[in-house]
Amino acid sequence: MRRRIVPYFLLGPGTIWLVLFFVLPLFYMAELSLWSGAVGSFEFSWHWANYSEALELYDSQFVRSFFYAGAATVLSLLLAYPLAYAIAFKAGRWRNVMLFAVIAPFFTTYLIRTIAWETILSDESPVTEVLKAIGLAPSGHVLATSGAVIAGLTYNYLPFMILPLYASLDRIDVRLIEAAKDLYSSATQSFLRVTLPLSAPGIVAGTLLTFIPAVGDYVNAQFLGGVGNRMIGNVIQSLYLSQSDYPSAAALSFVLMVLIMIVVVVYIRFAGSEALMGEEAR
Amino acid sequence: MRIRKPGRTAGTVVTAVLVLASALGLIACGGGSGIEGGSSTEAEEVKLENEPTGSLTISNWPLYIDKGTVPAFEKASGISVKYIEDINSNEEFFSKMQPLLQEGESGGRSIFVLADYEVTKMHNLGYLQEFDKSALPEFEKNLTASLKSPPFDPNRDWTAPWQSGMTGIIVNKELAPEVRSICDLFDPKYKGKVDFLNEVRETVPLVMKCEGVDPSKATEADWMKAIEKIKGAAESGQIRRFTGNDYARDLTSGDAVAVIGWSGDAVQLQADNPDLEWRMPTEGCMLWSEDMVIPVGAPNPTAAEAWINYVYEPEVQANIAEYVNYVTPVEGVKPILAKRDPELAENQLIFPSASFTKNCSPTPPLEGEEELKVIKAFDAVLNG
Repeated sequence: MRRRIVPYFLLGPGTIWLVLFFVLPLFYMAELSLWSGAVGSFEFSWHWANYSEALELYDSQFVRSFFYAGAATVLSLLLAYPLAYAIAFKAGRWRNVMLFAVIAPFFTTYLIRTIAWETILSDESPVTEVLKAIGLAPSGHVLATSGAVIAGLTYNYLPFMILPLYASLDRIDVRLIEAAKDLYSSATQSFLRVTLPLSAPGIVAGTLLTFIPAVGDYVNAQFLGGVGNRMIGNVIQSLYLSQSDYPSAAALSFVLMVLIMIVVVVYIRFAGSEALMGEEAR
Repeated sequence: MRIRKPGRTAGTVVTAVLVLASALGLIACGGGSGIEGGSSTEAEEVKLENEPTGSLTISNWPLYIDKGTVPAFEKASGISVKYIEDINSNEEFFSKMQPLLQEGESGGRSIFVLADYEVTKMHNLGYLQEFDKSALPEFEKNLTASLKSPPFDPNRDWTAPWQSGMTGIIVNKELAPEVRSICDLFDPKYKGKVDFLNEVRETVPLVMKCEGVDPSKATEADWMKAIEKIKGAAESGQIRRFTGNDYARDLTSGDAVAVIGWSGDAVQLQADNPDLEWRMPTEGCMLWSEDMVIPVGAPNPTAAEAWINYVYEPEVQANIAEYVNYVTPVEGVKPILAKRDPELAENQLIFPSASFTKNCSPTPPLEGEEELKVIKAFDAVLNG
């Protein structure tokens, strides 16, 4: 009897926390998204038009958000994989130092780091001069362009890609790679057929941890973007805080949540859930 | 090796959706939760106690007061003041406070400082209290004549101006010497080097002025036409970005060479970079004021009125004016400052003469349906 209760007891705090701070607000937001009227005369009226209007008016910002987040995720993966690989297999006694270096930026707040990028990318900065010289700044400036927003997103979410990748690479049994070599596979072959598949859980976890928050991000677009680079998070913020149009903001948040859910479900189906769960799901 | 359990997953999802839907239904049927419709009752008047005591919480914009006034008031009155600089945008502050005000609460604050149009909206929604003028002799005596009876509050029954100012252009004299008008901001020579304010009631009327339209007589079509023009400049890359006070960053780093900006900011920016200068656009500027108001449910309104009265003493106001460099709403400050700092007293941005501001316009009226449409159109440009 006692054994049966214990798991529920352990689940308790987490469940209460989630219900209070996630499920309950979600219900209020669902209700809010179906209101009509203006400040002072809001009323609940099953106003589904909030949803259709939201999609109609802000479709381009949705597309933009998914594009920026997707680009940032791919860039993060390309940057993070070699780094995580190096930390796991080549770093030797430098491993802890390198891991610390990955986490160190978290000691400064997200906001400050993004504002620092404003300075790094400003028009007269050496970085911008170099980018201009090699033809990577066609509009004459880097700050206030989509490139700057994607770069900011990539930078800010990079550690969320590196850490799961490192964890999955570190778990690989080196004897498997040695076995591949014993069976006359080249370095490329053993990487493609042994290391890469075994690190799949890290890739899936890392891409999700990067992509999901990046889609909803608004800080990078706010500071590093200019006209025409605003993401859906900026729209929700401005609907809520500058237009006091709470219902549309709530509807947009739901649409965003559903879209992310669809993308994630399709992705996991495609990548295979056992890749995410690792050995245990088999 | 791949074993999936699609049946179970689909079943779980269906159950989850059903639970969510039924819960939503429950909430909907229950109704009545959350924020209700506004009560448009008459504003009640502040109920004064004999002596102002206790504590007072004030919400204001950042860098909008000198360091000495609050402690001096505390010493003079025995009231302990919590002075919070938590207002960064009129609309944002309103949106954050609105659910509380709806319930008749003010979040513990007794004074807000917000723009004319924002306090008008709050007054119409029944969120503000009227003053008891018997405790405001200094305010009655020293309020500058031109601000005594604005259209939204002809007797100054519920607003007391904190500071006024002008919205015009701030340029870098070295990098954009020829920019003298709002129309000049659309010159392709400065493509990608121009910031516009994200304030619909200042940016759009200024562009109207460039098109020769008087903002105070503007029709909805005039608003839309000006917004179209801004949209064109945004899409062509002429406008770098829409900012609040943060244009200061772009100006100091050289990322922007000409912006739509506020007079008081320019005086402060000039101290760091002498090349920066506020210019009166040839079309004229926008004039605005920000007002102290007492919200419904404000604790200790007696102390709030004591504060309003205190900052209307010319000696006190002189300290504030000297620090913030906006246009002071209090008579009798200029002679005091002339003794301390003659240059400041002659500054047209702080004590503008009637001829200096002759082409300037007050914040134009924008209400109801028209307001919603205009704000929506302008925000669509901001969110591009």
